[in-house]
Amino acid sequence: MDSLPTLVSAAYLGAAVLFILSLGGLSSQETARRGNVYGMAGMAVALLAVLASTSIGGASPAYLPMVAAVVVGGALGAVAAARVAMTSMPQLVAALHSFVGLAAVLVGVSTYLHPSHAAGGSEVVALLEIYADVCLGAITFTGSVVAWGKLQGTISGKSVLIPGRHVVNAAMVLAIVGLAVPFVGDGMVTASGDAPGLIWLLAMAVLAAVLGIHAVLAIGGADMPVVVSLLNSYSGWTAAAAGFMLSNDLLIVTGALVGSSGAILSYIMCEAMNRSIWSVVLGGFGTSTQASSTPAPSAGQPGEVQPVDVDQLAGVLKEAKEVVVVPGYGMAVAQAQHLVKDFGALMRERGATLRFAIHPVAGRLPGHMNVLLAEAGVPYDIVLEMDEINDDLRRTDVVLVIGANDIVNPGALDDESSPIYGMPVLHVWESGTVVVLKRGMATGYAGVGNPLFYKSNTRMLFGDAKDSMSALVAALRST
Amino acid sequence: MKIGIPREVHPGERRVAATPQTVRELRSLGFDVYVESNAGRWARYSDDAYAGAGATIIEDTAALWSSTDLILKVRQPEHNEALDRHEVDLLPEGGRLISLIFPGQNQDVVQRLAARKASVIALDCIPRISRAQKMDVLSSMSNISGYRAIIEASHHFGSFFGGQITAAGKTRPARVLVIGAGVAGLSAIAAARGLGAEVRAFDTRAAAREQVQSLGATFLELDFEEDGEGAGGYGKQMSAAFIEAEMALFAAQCEEVDIVVTTALIPNKPSPLLITKAMVESMKPGSVIVDLAAERGGNCEVTVADKTVEVSDVTIIGYTDLTSRLATHASEFFGNNLIHLLDDMGGGDNFKIDLEDEAVRGALVLLDGESMWPPPPRTAPAAAPVKPPPVEPPDDPPIPTGSDASKVSRERNLRRPLLSLVAACVLAGLGLFADGPFLQHFTVFVLSCFVGWQVIWSVTPALHTPLMAVTNAISGIIIVGGILQSARGAVDLASILGLIAIVMASINVFGGFLVTQRMLKMFHK
Repeated sequence: MDSLPTLVSAAYLGAAVLFILSLGGLSSQETARRGNVYGMAGMAVALLAVLASTSIGGASPAYLPMVAAVVVGGALGAVAAARVAMTSMPQLVAALHSFVGLAAVLVGVSTYLHPSHAAGGSEVVALLEIYADVCLGAITFTGSVVAWGKLQGTISGKSVLIPGRHVVNAAMVLAIVGLAVPFVGDGMVTASGDAPGLIWLLAMAVLAAVLGIHAVLAIGGADMPVVVSLLNSYSGWTAAAAGFMLSNDLLIVTGALVGSSGAILSYIMCEAMNRSIWSVVLGGFGTSTQASSTPAPSAGQPGEVQPVDVDQLAGVLKEAKEVVVVPGYGMAVAQAQHLVKDFGALMRERGATLRFAIHPVAGRLPGHMNVLLAEAGVPYDIVLEMDEINDDLRRTDVVLVIGANDIVNPGALDDESSPIYGMPVLHVWESGTVVVLKRGMATGYAGVGNPLFYKSNTRMLFGDAKDSMSALVAALRST
Repeated sequence: MKIGIPREVHPGERRVAATPQTVRELRSLGFDVYVESNAGRWARYSDDAYAGAGATIIEDTAALWSSTDLILKVRQPEHNEALDRHEVDLLPEGGRLISLIFPGQNQDVVQRLAARKASVIALDCIPRISRAQKMDVLSSMSNISGYRAIIEASHHFGSFFGGQITAAGKTRPARVLVIGAGVAGLSAIAAARGLGAEVRAFDTRAAAREQVQSLGATFLELDFEEDGEGAGGYGKQMSAAFIEAEMALFAAQCEEVDIVVTTALIPNKPSPLLITKAMVESMKPGSVIVDLAAERGGNCEVTVADKTVEVSDVTIIGYTDLTSRLATHASEFFGNNLIHLLDDMGGGDNFKIDLEDEAVRGALVLLDGESMWPPPPRTAPAAAPVKPPPVEPPDDPPIPTGSDASKVSRERNLRRPLLSLVAACVLAGLGLFADGPFLQHFTVFVLSCFVGWQVIWSVTPALHTPLMAVTNAISGIIIVGGILQSARGAVDLASILGLIAIVMASINVFGGFLVTQRMLKMFHK
């Protein structure tokens, strides 16, 4: 079959186009499902093409073990996808990143041991491509594992800062670059099967793995959305590097798409937190820095916190015409999204306008709150982005802040000493009444005190978000 | 150049085309101003005030018309009862006139003016383009009539507008329905809100919603897809089904509200009938309807132009002189619009009717007696159809970000050449040292990054989590590497590593796509 190689190339092109359409489909909720189908179709085309390509040149590939591997992996993936709770999406995403990283490392080492494709070109370039693939793969792998651990709670969310960490990081990066010299110097695997450079490659992989761990350990909990986005980006670049290594354009295209996607998400998240990407990458942010960990507002008198109980709140809500709900990670933790949805439906039945305001970094994953609300059955057209709703807040009667803290902190606007100064926030305090549902007076992930709690139009409803919401729904129903 | 300001002769017209203040400005534009005696009497501007501003007061009406180069008026020319002469005949041969004309309805006046070889600019025909906004008397007058409509309504309404809680009892706020959220409608909304009423408004144009809501009123909606945005920011006529749905809405609203203000006008057509007699009868006793479209037939079935009538205890106000009832400010706005127009036309020293000037060309009815109306059609739709009337500025001014923005842009200005330089160096390095296949792949890589960049920005933020899941899935494409490495079937380390990679990547492929599908299924309206 002389036409097979060109046919395979055409199939790769088709798959690449389908992937692009797949991402393009996500531009709106209406087209998103079709986009996902495009993605699946692209993947199917790609798999068939690559399986066909292995028989090029009259080889008789061993399909059985490969199919078995796909079945095993596919089954694991399918089970995970079906079982995962929507609140645990960040963990799942992080775990999936780590698999890409690990697969890239394995493929890289395998390619070094058996450079089968031999596409021509210089050996040095080929070796460097392997080196880059393994390096990126290892960083992605361990970084994602740590991110998963932090999100899961297995590893503390607080940032771990070892003294002189920038020096340590720099030293590791230099060592990784330096090890390339003996690796390339030792050259490719010899005909007899000796792999002289393997030791260097593995040493570098270990270093890169440590670097990945260290980098993500240093990043604090509030920055997790950025970290997950960044790792998303890394996993893309890793796939692209694998594409260079294997001279496979489909891998390169796909990797570049995923890489840009992650990069853009990271950028959006950084903008939403008023951080530079470097400050996140270098770590140490999103933590209680220096002395600002005292929960009292830094300027002015601390003021009085005014608690409210469920019945009083129900009374206030009965009079309200415009209500906005600001969900945060606390809602996800308490699994309160279904009650929040019931509350919303109830308010709308009573004739109030109820909408949801989503801050870009609410939750631990970009768009996390949207998914949770969608899961609970909240129609997406009443779920608004921060920029869409911020101006309306001053005409809102009641804002209900559920398990959010830093994203509604007025200090971000006017307190220059605040670590989150300059971060765009939801101006909930401009509304008639703000009710904050919170477990206690603890600070948010950024470890910053929130002057909102002391404002004269703020009321605090202490307790678990789920319990409070269920009591509130009951109180509203009973009247 | 001499400007004449005659006294308006239309019965009940209290406005005047210039105030002492605008006389001053006309003079600084290089005009000599002649004002007929008592021209500003009913707008409370005395002859002395005009004289103090530098105008020459002329007693003789005919002399004023004949001795000046340009007449500025409010109303279109009509018969002057006192002189028993038509004002057009007072205008000298080849004279110039700027006033309201309504050439569509007043063809006879236009023909008389043409016979006098006059040059005429109709203020009502100033096109609705943003540049001409400051000359648009219809907007400034609508603003006034909208406000005055509420004042007239409150005069006939036997209750409070704002809710009251006093020792003597409690009242709920009045409910006001404003139909048509153009300049007049928005101004009525603002005035009613200012008095404390609860206001709801309806408009066929979807663009009006935001403006209505920005004034704190509720925007009423039909469950019906049709946008009534017509040319130049006016409404257009809607389909029969739409009108039926609309009427049902009004009927329901009439039973609830205390005050109705209708402002629906369609250019060069009789105004649409929106409030039927049955709806009026369904309203609460003491309710008030103000029909701002009364002059063109009215939006309410029982409206009588220029009169206040009562139908089953509901007062229907059909005044067509609402602006005249606020003559002082109306004259001031009118005069200011004229100043802007004359400034645009070159002032007193370089006065010119410029046919290239879109604002002037649109409003030009006659040029030396030649008919210039209607002007050639403009194709581009008006970008900003209706500006909301000037309302109280919001309590908190927006946070100034100008300096920050300029700082950022300065940083970007520095960054851009730097980045270009780095990119150029990288490309040169690649060209010098990389091998052919690598460069080919690199080309694909860079182009893909750009495609990705473009595609991802269009993803809606609400779908960022599914985006991550789907990119998880497609980055499982690394499975290709595993397959290529393990296809030989040999039992060696390379193949086994490849197989493990396949397992890992398959988890991504299947897990990613399936979880994305699960999430996307949940999103519904």
